[in-house]
Amino acid sequence: MKTTWKDIAPVPTSQEFLDIVLSRTQRQLPTQIRAGFKISRIRGFYTRKVKYTQETFGEKFTSILDGFPRLQDIHPFHKDLMNTLYDADHFRIALGQVSTAKHLIETVSRDYVRLIKYAQSLFQCKQLKRAALGRMATICRRLKDPLVYLEQVRQHLGRLPSIDPNTRTLLICGYPNVGKSSFLRSITRADVDVQPYAFTTKSLFVGHFDYKYLRFQAIDTPGILDHPLEEMNTIEMQSITAVAHLRSAILYFMDLSEQCGYSVGDQIKLFHSIKPLFANKIVYIVVNKIDVRRPEDLEPEYQEQLQEILKSGDVEMLEVSCTTTEGVTTVKNAACDKLLAERVAQKLKSGTSNSGANPGGRLGDVLSRIHVAQPLGGVQRETFIPEAVKNLKKYDKSDPNRKRLERDIEEENGGAGVYNFDMHRDYTLADDEWKHDKIPEVWNGKNIYDFVDPDIESKLAALEEEEEKLEADGYYESDESVEDAEDADIRMKADLIREKRVLMRNEAKMRKSLKNRAAIPRSAKSKKLSEMETALDSAGYDVDTVGARARSQSQPRGRTTTRSEPGNDDAMDLDDPRQAIARAKSRARSQAATNRRDDGVTDTTARTKAERLYKLGQKKMNRMARQGEADRHTTVSLAKHLFAGKRGMGKTQRR
Amino acid sequence: MAVRAQFENSNEVGVFSLLTNSYAVVAVGASENFYSVFEAELQDVIPICHATIAGTRLVGRLAVGNKNGLLVPTTTTDQELQHLRNTLPDSVKIQRIEERLSALGNVICCNDHVALVHPDLERETEEILADVLGVEVFRQTVADNVLTGSYMALSNQGGIVHPKTSVRDQDELSSLLQVPLVAGSVNRGSSVVGAGMVVNDWLAITGLDTTATELSVIESVFRLGEMAPGGASAGVNKESIVESFY
Repeated sequence: MKTTWKDIAPVPTSQEFLDIVLSRTQRQLPTQIRAGFKISRIRGFYTRKVKYTQETFGEKFTSILDGFPRLQDIHPFHKDLMNTLYDADHFRIALGQVSTAKHLIETVSRDYVRLIKYAQSLFQCKQLKRAALGRMATICRRLKDPLVYLEQVRQHLGRLPSIDPNTRTLLICGYPNVGKSSFLRSITRADVDVQPYAFTTKSLFVGHFDYKYLRFQAIDTPGILDHPLEEMNTIEMQSITAVAHLRSAILYFMDLSEQCGYSVGDQIKLFHSIKPLFANKIVYIVVNKIDVRRPEDLEPEYQEQLQEILKSGDVEMLEVSCTTTEGVTTVKNAACDKLLAERVAQKLKSGTSNSGANPGGRLGDVLSRIHVAQPLGGVQRETFIPEAVKNLKKYDKSDPNRKRLERDIEEENGGAGVYNFDMHRDYTLADDEWKHDKIPEVWNGKNIYDFVDPDIESKLAALEEEEEKLEADGYYESDESVEDAEDADIRMKADLIREKRVLMRNEAKMRKSLKNRAAIPRSAKSKKLSEMETALDSAGYDVDTVGARARSQSQPRGRTTTRSEPGNDDAMDLDDPRQAIARAKSRARSQAATNRRDDGVTDTTARTKAERLYKLGQKKMNRMARQGEADRHTTVSLAKHLFAGKRGMGKTQRR
Repeated sequence: MAVRAQFENSNEVGVFSLLTNSYAVVAVGASENFYSVFEAELQDVIPICHATIAGTRLVGRLAVGNKNGLLVPTTTTDQELQHLRNTLPDSVKIQRIEERLSALGNVICCNDHVALVHPDLERETEEILADVLGVEVFRQTVADNVLTGSYMALSNQGGIVHPKTSVRDQDELSSLLQVPLVAGSVNRGSSVVGAGMVVNDWLAITGLDTTATELSVIESVFRLGEMAPGGASAGVNKESIVESFY
């Protein structure tokens, strides 16, 4: 809800208003017009002028109307306050006049635009425009008084204190000069004028203070005199408005010393006369200036009257002295506590459903967050806090004798990422030397920890005992050594055999290795005659005849010594009937054109079958959208420079 | 005493550490800063163990323990188990358990007397829990969440539950556990209180984002430091809170 109206735009006077609107029309619209122009153009020119002026007027008036608060829309407190300060009727009439002016100007504009439509010349158009603007100006000039009034209201509204009618409020009221403003000064930081004469405070003042983490507002009101409402002036009416409309704790201030110039009797009377306004509110009677006179020192008759007020129970009396600040906090706290308690109670009541179940929704959320569930049953859960905790010194970074933390060690050793802490440092083992023993995770393919046995010590002891026993029995001194010798012999021989085998394998490998030559089958390999002779000789054959025959059959090198046979390719071509027949036979015979799809297909069944098979064959290719031989294919064509070898220096990269 | 800390830019302190009345387990991080927070606060009163569980750093979520013992999931390697055994005092029983819900820290919430567990936990696990940790076991949910360990932080002196837990649930859980409970949050409104903080009977470590208000709630409900026993301080603010938030 809006509580301040500081942002209303300034309201110009009627003259300024006119200047603004007309100069804007002049500046924003074209000004060049000639008699020789087409008449429709001239009419349009002036229609636009009139309409634009009217729109500007309308815009300005609307902004004024929207800027001011509408009395029916704001909180009753603000409404009444404005009524008191500015007179609601006056205010409404002023705004009404502005609104009427707006309508009138609209009508004028409409009329003249209609007339301009029938104008026959530039002159006529111009005169009509002049008349229209003149009438608008007159209407505006008539608004002189309302605009001045609205400007004043605007300025005053902007200076009103921001009073939130719904928040936690302490309202200070009472006769003039009883110390209301000095109390406000002492509980808040509001800089309220305090003077020793009546009606120093002429309007409402607001101060803020914090109590229990909550912001409270305290409102200082002008003093009230005890006379009928109708006779009250504006200043007093402000107080009455505040008392009547604000949901607050009311602190009714009294001055028993009568330094204010009003008797105690008058003050009590005033309390009774404004009492109807206190309905459903928390009311305190605050006796001020107790440094001068305390309630105990009061005349008995007044004391009786005071007691009568307090008797009903819903009014409490508090004592305070603003000069000595005695009781200031007590008054503040008492009032705030009670106000808070009542507000919370009301909220809880409104948030709880009628059935009395636990409050749900937002209130339930809040309540569940602040609820401390205390266990029923009363079992005391034992705590385990070591003694050492009680005299633990708080770690202090700047203490030179502080504990050396792992972080400090890390810093000294090169910082995070460089330093590796020792995970084994804190091991508690039987022997500290064991801390850094390396235990592999897996040993010979076996998980070490699968073989860890809690009883390993005892088992080892048992084994050792058995061993000792065996040794003592002479078990190890038996004739195992003979067998050992035999074994050693066998083993030695086996080793020899293995070694020999390896050697043979290596030799064969060496022999067979190609040494980077092509593998040629043995039958295709050429053998030297001498090799054959050696081989046959060693096999016991006679080599002479064999050698002679081989030599006779071998091809000598160089030119042939015999004439070439006739019929060779080099010989002259002769006609020979046999040859002609042979040639004719060798030539490919031309074939009759056949449809290869029908070729070899005997009847329709065979044809359908063939077609089906053909389609079946195509199926996979089609399904996978494979490229087939029938597809049109354009090979990549490269630009010439991409494949021709013409390149200059350093163009290799660019190709 | 409640302090704020961060594990490698993460506020989920309860994920990377485990704090009990007789030992603390802290994840192996890139630097020693987080470990040193524990070191500075505990100062050799109880041993602090650098550890990984199943090769991960999520020790607080995977393992659960109290003064009497420590339960680790079946995924824990033999070497990790041996490391824990070597580091922690002999009075602490360590048990590796076969459980389908292997993030034990998420499904079990316990102090030295009681444990609240996930309703689907196996019966055998429940028995082991009672034997090793020496606690009474209750199958419960916290604000309709089955992950009791994530949404609840518990010590022998108090507990914090998921912020949306209803008043009736809080009362019921409190009577079950026999410690005062409040609904609260850590790390600037995070509802996973179990993962956002670790607590024992004299120390709480929360995420760095935890607000002063959250910290004061934690200190008062767990009765840490100079805070008066819970309730007194909470009552003062009740009106203010209702007034300003509703």
